[in-house]
Amino acid sequence: MGAENIPSISEPVPSSIVQFAAADKLINICRANSFWPLTFGIACCAIEMMATGCARFDMSRFGAEVFRPSPRQSDVMIVAGTITKKMMPGIKTLYDQMPEPKWVMALGNCAISGGPFAFEGQYSIVLGADQFLPVDVYVPGCPPRPEALLQGIIELEHKVSGWKRWKDPEASAKA
Amino acid sequence: MSKPIQLGPDETFVLNVGPQHPATHGVLRVKMRMDGEYIVDSETVIGYIHRMHEKMGEIKPYPQYLMNLSRMDYLGAVGYSHGHVLCVEKAAGIEVPERAEYIRVIMVELNRIASHLFWFGAFVMDLGGFSPLMYALQDREHILDMMEAVTGSRLTYCYFRFGGLYNDIDDQFIDAARRFIPRMRKSLDKYDKLVTGNIIFRKRLEGNAFLSKETCRKYGASSAVARGSGINFDVRKNEPYSVYPELDFEVPVFHECDSLARYNVRMAEIEQSLRIVEQALDKLPDGLFMAEKAPKIIKPPAGDYYQAVETARGSFGVRLVSDGTKTPYRLKLRSPTYSNMHLFDETCRGMMIMDALAFMGSLDLVIPEIDR
Amino acid sequence: MIAETTKQALQALFPEPEPVVEEIVEAPAETEESAKEQKKEEGPRPNGVIERDYKVHGYHIDAQVAVDQLIDAIQILDDAEFFIETITGVDWIKEGEFEIIYDFSRYDFEVCRIVIRTRVSRENPIVPTITGIYAGANWHERETHDFFGIKFEGHPHLIPLLLPEDADFHPLRKDFKA
Repeated sequence: MGAENIPSISEPVPSSIVQFAAADKLINICRANSFWPLTFGIACCAIEMMATGCARFDMSRFGAEVFRPSPRQSDVMIVAGTITKKMMPGIKTLYDQMPEPKWVMALGNCAISGGPFAFEGQYSIVLGADQFLPVDVYVPGCPPRPEALLQGIIELEHKVSGWKRWKDPEASAKA
Repeated sequence: MSKPIQLGPDETFVLNVGPQHPATHGVLRVKMRMDGEYIVDSETVIGYIHRMHEKMGEIKPYPQYLMNLSRMDYLGAVGYSHGHVLCVEKAAGIEVPERAEYIRVIMVELNRIASHLFWFGAFVMDLGGFSPLMYALQDREHILDMMEAVTGSRLTYCYFRFGGLYNDIDDQFIDAARRFIPRMRKSLDKYDKLVTGNIIFRKRLEGNAFLSKETCRKYGASSAVARGSGINFDVRKNEPYSVYPELDFEVPVFHECDSLARYNVRMAEIEQSLRIVEQALDKLPDGLFMAEKAPKIIKPPAGDYYQAVETARGSFGVRLVSDGTKTPYRLKLRSPTYSNMHLFDETCRGMMIMDALAFMGSLDLVIPEIDR
Repeated sequence: MIAETTKQALQALFPEPEPVVEEIVEAPAETEESAKEQKKEEGPRPNGVIERDYKVHGYHIDAQVAVDQLIDAIQILDDAEFFIETITGVDWIKEGEFEIIYDFSRYDFEVCRIVIRTRVSRENPIVPTITGIYAGANWHERETHDFFGIKFEGHPHLIPLLLPEDADFHPLRKDFKA
């Protein structure tokens, strides 16, 4: 009995001698259903993030609508936009200030690889959030559609708790 | 605005706002020297999202650069593309069919409404009211739906080409646009009742951040920042381009010079943009949407060219220095918010911090557009 | 007309005011010989005021001034109530010079765009600041300093604006390599 029995937890929860696997599982499901993202927009993708939080796409269906302006209160960092070298230390600080357990989502091509701004002679940007942060979910797009962000949230839920909202349509078609 | 009591320099402290702060609309940082709740001095630090569009302009050939303009200002993307294509077309002597120019204007104005709606929601959210954002974004989604069906993207449109457009509009778009106009007018009435008439909102903004005409001129302010200070300046009227001279619209000007005036200008502009869309749809001529003779490789003759357009955020200018090759020698993008934001440091002196943040909201900032 | 009066005021800066009106080049009539002649005529542009075709270039008056005439020229525009549009630079590396371009326009309905340009050598690029006249030139000059390394003498706060605080490179110079 231990944390390793819970499937697909990549970020190990700080372990203690006494383990409560069932309780951990329950807590993880709770965590997965109530992400508190950090209000942190950098560029274009942040607008789609706001659109996702608003009326039509309604992120609260997945329990992730509580955007917190302070890193101390949030557990998901959605890196939405190009990271410049000038901004990088700030993002690192924000990440360090977030309490464990915490996850990072790279939203948009800029946060994945530098996107359209990676060119010869570029001196200003960091080529992807994974250069300095442990990224859990990548959401491609320039900018990603709100549906893509929601899919990213669902993937993150799956990663955190091993639990899925619905069956993978491709896998069920094969079976 | 009352002046703060002058204390010794030892009793002031420095407050750092940003670069991650919900009120700065992105990665803007302001260092403020505070005396209690009053701002003694402030210094804006920008460049946190500086991605060097201008260098990319020197490296990429003209058609490849089209996508950059929409990433510069993602809220009013089409307006910026318009400036760029007009400048290059002028330099290279490319004729644009009239239909294409009308469709461009329709798109620019729809995008302007979308941009103002987003600003409206975010501005009221800055002041503490959350629900208007929900209404505003709901209306904005209707515009995005229409534009997406034609252009293929929701936010960062790359729709204009040198000599025309990527794609023609269809009857479905025209129907949707016609249905949208009365719907938006109804919504404007709703916003009027919900926000503009709200006594808390008005008291908060009346007399907030006085901007004189002279300050506007010295800093080169444009858009609602200038028009809220009684300056009747709109590039669409002052320096007519595209098919704007054939369309009947007014430039709303308010003389109060405060944040409420800037708010009123933008809300009145939504109505004017609706009028433009309405007329442009009526006048829309048949014909080509892309010039037949538009060259694939663009080589403007050597020289320098300037084109200004009125975007949702103000007077946007493109200065193109060409040396006759297929990439520009120098491409300068004059961004309106850069000048508008520059006002902030001087104006916010002596203001209380919450007034300064309301003022910052009224400037309609898009940070990647400042930093480029 | 504001364009006329400003042009005259700017021309007064030069000892021999010779208005050079841009010749409209007739494209079809251009033979090889005339093309060669034109190339010979091209050279460093002398300082002076040129009236440009607005429909082609997008501005009316194009004045190239010497560095020491800059403040006077800007003062003329300030007195005539122009507003500052932008300041930028161009790196003419072959000629070993930087060009600094100042754009001005008007708020009223007399459309008149004025471009003031000045050239300095690449080795020692120093220009006087115009922040004393237009406070809004502050950021534009800092940006130009960032990108080209042009020093604006007398500028109150010439530190990197868009680049990181410790930046020592100038990315828009043509010989810049990341």
